[in-house]
Amino acid sequence: MAATPIPLEVHNIKKRFGDTEVLKGLSLSAHKGDVITLIGASGSGKSTFLRCMNLLEQPDEGELLVHGESVRFKQAKHGREPADWKQVVRMRARLSMVFQSFNLWAHMTLLENVIEAPVHVLGKPKKEAVEHARELLARVGLAKHADYYPAQMSGGQQQRGAIARALAMDPEVMLFDEPTSALDPELVGDVLRVMRDLADEGRTMIVVTHEMAFARDVSSQVIYLHQGVVEEAGAPGEVLDNPRSERLRQFLAPKH
Amino acid sequence: MIDLHGYGPRLAEGALITVELALLSLLLAIVLGLVTASAKMSRSRVAHGIGTLYTTIIRGVPDLVLMMLLFFGGQMGVNLITDALYDRFGIDIFININEFVAGVVTIGLIFGAYMGETFRGAFLAVDSGQIEAGRAYGMGPWLVFRRIRFPQMMRHALPGLSNNWMVLLKTTALVSVIGLSDMVRVASEASKATREPFTFMIIVAAIYLLIASVSEWTFARLQKRYSIGYGEVD
Repeated sequence: MAATPIPLEVHNIKKRFGDTEVLKGLSLSAHKGDVITLIGASGSGKSTFLRCMNLLEQPDEGELLVHGESVRFKQAKHGREPADWKQVVRMRARLSMVFQSFNLWAHMTLLENVIEAPVHVLGKPKKEAVEHARELLARVGLAKHADYYPAQMSGGQQQRGAIARALAMDPEVMLFDEPTSALDPELVGDVLRVMRDLADEGRTMIVVTHEMAFARDVSSQVIYLHQGVVEEAGAPGEVLDNPRSERLRQFLAPKH
Repeated sequence: MIDLHGYGPRLAEGALITVELALLSLLLAIVLGLVTASAKMSRSRVAHGIGTLYTTIIRGVPDLVLMMLLFFGGQMGVNLITDALYDRFGIDIFININEFVAGVVTIGLIFGAYMGETFRGAFLAVDSGQIEAGRAYGMGPWLVFRRIRFPQMMRHALPGLSNNWMVLLKTTALVSVIGLSDMVRVASEASKATREPFTFMIIVAAIYLLIASVSEWTFARLQKRYSIGYGEVD
């Protein structure tokens, strides 16, 4: 039996902004069905780390393997950059990102948003893409909103729509960048429910979040970052319930 | 009924030339404008420098002067090249710069500079998250431009674009000085011959107004189309 390639592996990722080193050698491997949550205070580098995984930020050092394929880099004037952008496009199509501010394309209806990349990036026939999109919209509870524009929907609806857009790519790994941080408290639940469903059906997910209950209930692994370093990592029971470091204890302590 | 003293058909031809000239110049100006905007936003210092030089020169020299410089200077340049070809290689050719082409090139060049600024502002107004989402979903630069950047930029560019077009339309009147028989030149010839300047100029004014009104209507529809999804228009 041939081993299936690991969906996403990153090794020793380092990133500097000017003189500040924000990621100091981070590694992670996401096996099929893993739900990895990245937690940490703002400035800990958790979002930057996530953005390095699909090269929205260029890591200065480190290795990136998507589906077993290593991303090639070359040295350019402004630092390291991918040697082959076609490879980047191919690897990004295997990873789907859900953004903090949704970033649904404002000039397209929800349905158009969901079929856009499958049709124009993956080359899927439009009819097929539309059928799939309607199923996905029904799944996230937005069957009736297919023809709405993003501006006509609430934040929670937009984020669920953005999750449908991500699912439409049949991604190997879904990257969530603080998906509930821009939402009104009463809308957070709907989005988290959809994400729990995805975890239950065995999706591979990497989630940057401040939702500790979600991290505790859903993750297979929790990584606590502090100033660009992994301070603690492990099963949610260990990391969240028995934090070893004083810093993590303080981070997890109820805020007043 | 107004007596056109038989100048009707020539006026109509002139009006057609004006419209053709304006539309082709607009096309050139849009292409140049997009290129200029990209150059000025580029990380390359050379591209940025060329873009800045272009807009500075064009915006700092009067249109009429530019037009004469390009038309007469262009002919001199072409003559120099053809003379050199004859002296060196014995190739005997004569190229006469066509007034229409000269007009399109000059007006296109002038308005390309203004369009460049319009487009640059419009591109900068597009939320970077929209572009990032495109990249994150595997779109290459051209696909991002075609599917996201351009349609979203147009909403911001259209007011400026429409303004530039109106000015461009009226600038076409300047081509009569380089000998192109646009409707202004026809009308001014007719005025001299018939000594009825008012008749012909009022007609020319009316035709310009008509074109301008059709343009405004067209731009209003475009604005509506590119504002879809932004809740500005029902």
